[in-house]
Amino acid sequence: MFNFDWLSGVSQENAKMVFLSLYAVIGILVMLLPTEYIYEGIPKEDRHWWNNLKLWSIAVLCILASIYNHF
Amino acid sequence: MLSGIDYFIVIAYIVGMLLLGLYFKKFVNSSEDYFLGGKSLPFWAIGMSIVVSDIGALDFVGVSGQAYRYGISVGNFDWVGSVPAMLLAAFIFIPYFWRGGMYTIPEYLGRRYNQKVRTIASVTWILFFALDLGVLFWASAVLLNVLMGWPIWISIISTAGVVGLYTYFGGITAVIMTDVVQFFIMFIGGFALVFLSLYEVGGWDNMVDKIATMGPEYRNHFDIIQPQDTKSPFPWTGILFGLTFVMANAYMIGNQSIVQRCLTAKNEWHAKASMIFGSALKMFIPILVLFPGLMAVVVHPGLADGDQALPLMIKSILPPGLVGLMFAAFFAGLMSSVDSLLNSTATLFTKDIYEPFIKKGADDKHYLKVGQITTLVLLIIGVATSPISSDFPGIYVAIQTFMSYFQGPIFSILLLGIFWKRTTEWGGLSALVIGIGFAIYLNVFKEQFFTIEDPFLYISWWSFLLGVIINVSVSLLTKKHTAEQLQGLVFSSKILVKNKKL
Repeated sequence: MFNFDWLSGVSQENAKMVFLSLYAVIGILVMLLPTEYIYEGIPKEDRHWWNNLKLWSIAVLCILASIYNHF
Repeated sequence: MLSGIDYFIVIAYIVGMLLLGLYFKKFVNSSEDYFLGGKSLPFWAIGMSIVVSDIGALDFVGVSGQAYRYGISVGNFDWVGSVPAMLLAAFIFIPYFWRGGMYTIPEYLGRRYNQKVRTIASVTWILFFALDLGVLFWASAVLLNVLMGWPIWISIISTAGVVGLYTYFGGITAVIMTDVVQFFIMFIGGFALVFLSLYEVGGWDNMVDKIATMGPEYRNHFDIIQPQDTKSPFPWTGILFGLTFVMANAYMIGNQSIVQRCLTAKNEWHAKASMIFGSALKMFIPILVLFPGLMAVVVHPGLADGDQALPLMIKSILPPGLVGLMFAAFFAGLMSSVDSLLNSTATLFTKDIYEPFIKKGADDKHYLKVGQITTLVLLIIGVATSPISSDFPGIYVAIQTFMSYFQGPIFSILLLGIFWKRTTEWGGLSALVIGIGFAIYLNVFKEQFFTIEDPFLYISWWSFLLGVIINVSVSLLTKKHTAEQLQGLVFSSKILVKNKKL
């Protein structure tokens, strides 16, 4: 049990899908955050698409998913 | 090994760091300035500082060595082992800590659970950081001794003198801003080695083809996901459960030296952005520390000790000038780790031990002075204990193993503390104590429980799980906290929609 033997039947390809799915779920959760919360701390007149932290997070997750997809 | 130009670069780097660090002395007028940079720092500086303090010179050598032995799967620690945890920290934990005006993670645990939990967590971190300091001083001295021929004690005192001076006077602002310069030095030196090594092996595809023909032991060298029954320490189950779900979160959310940086941000957006920007930068770290190890498989095949891979690559690939830059990059890694340990330990001692137990209610200047004196005392302890490393060569690994006992239980109480309002002080205390005990038990009897040689990822997962079970069970049996006690300490959807009130 301590060695996760019960998961020994999962192939490397399927395991990779588990990681890619995790990134997708995190991406969805980030997208669900209210925009107001994302910009908290920035005055309304200074809010632009480039300081939208949702976009930053999605970009990072996309790069991460590409690495795991490639290797 | 170093030529004249290399010596010039290294000495210019060390003097430059000292002057830059001392420049920030003029911004320190209160304990908040010293420990939290007056809450005035921008996200980009904090993000770079998080990344550079996370990677030390010992990691450069160690990770390259592991990449030489086990391949690209070592990169999991900076990829899946950082990004999800940093996003969780950015959007959930950091806003609570930042809005609460906290200085330390144990301070949150003290408010959420009780003073005992705060003290146990704080003392454990202080012990770990203080021990680590001596090891780092010794490592830097050995590096200076080998490359520049400096006697060990002169090397130790000069490292302690340079880092100690700017940390003592400039506090965390000096630590973070010198980290920014150290970040660029590390990246320029590291990428120079990677590009020249790639040229040496005939490009990426050529390297992959050559390694593929070197034998069955290299079959999985380019698989980031290792099978569950691999003999390497990185089976995908350990990476998912132990690293992604526990250790990464414990490190990014529960490590004082990481979180304290985010608390220096000038506003909440900068605090969140610093973690996300840091996560983007973290993705480049495997290129710097892992790729040279992979390329060494082709350039220096058959090494008995994988940790020789990086030094050999530097020696055989880099021309004069770039050797000095790479050495400065090593030194940058060491300095950034030492200054982080000094400032974080001073913060933990002043805020979690001195203020509540030794002298309550003193004026702010007094606590600023205590923080500075603690930094000085830690320096002396670090220098005095550094020879222990030569008597016990495995001490660095021993310290890291000791910390892995702590990660699972500490994350279990942080997670339940913020997400489950029914968690009580006795639940948290029992989970912390029993969880640490269980992790030690699993490690002592690891041959009986685990099939892989170094099961630290599995140990962190199982000790985390037990911590959750104990916390839930004991909490349900003990008196719940009142709404007033939990104000601003437990996750509420209000933080997302109303913003101002937690």
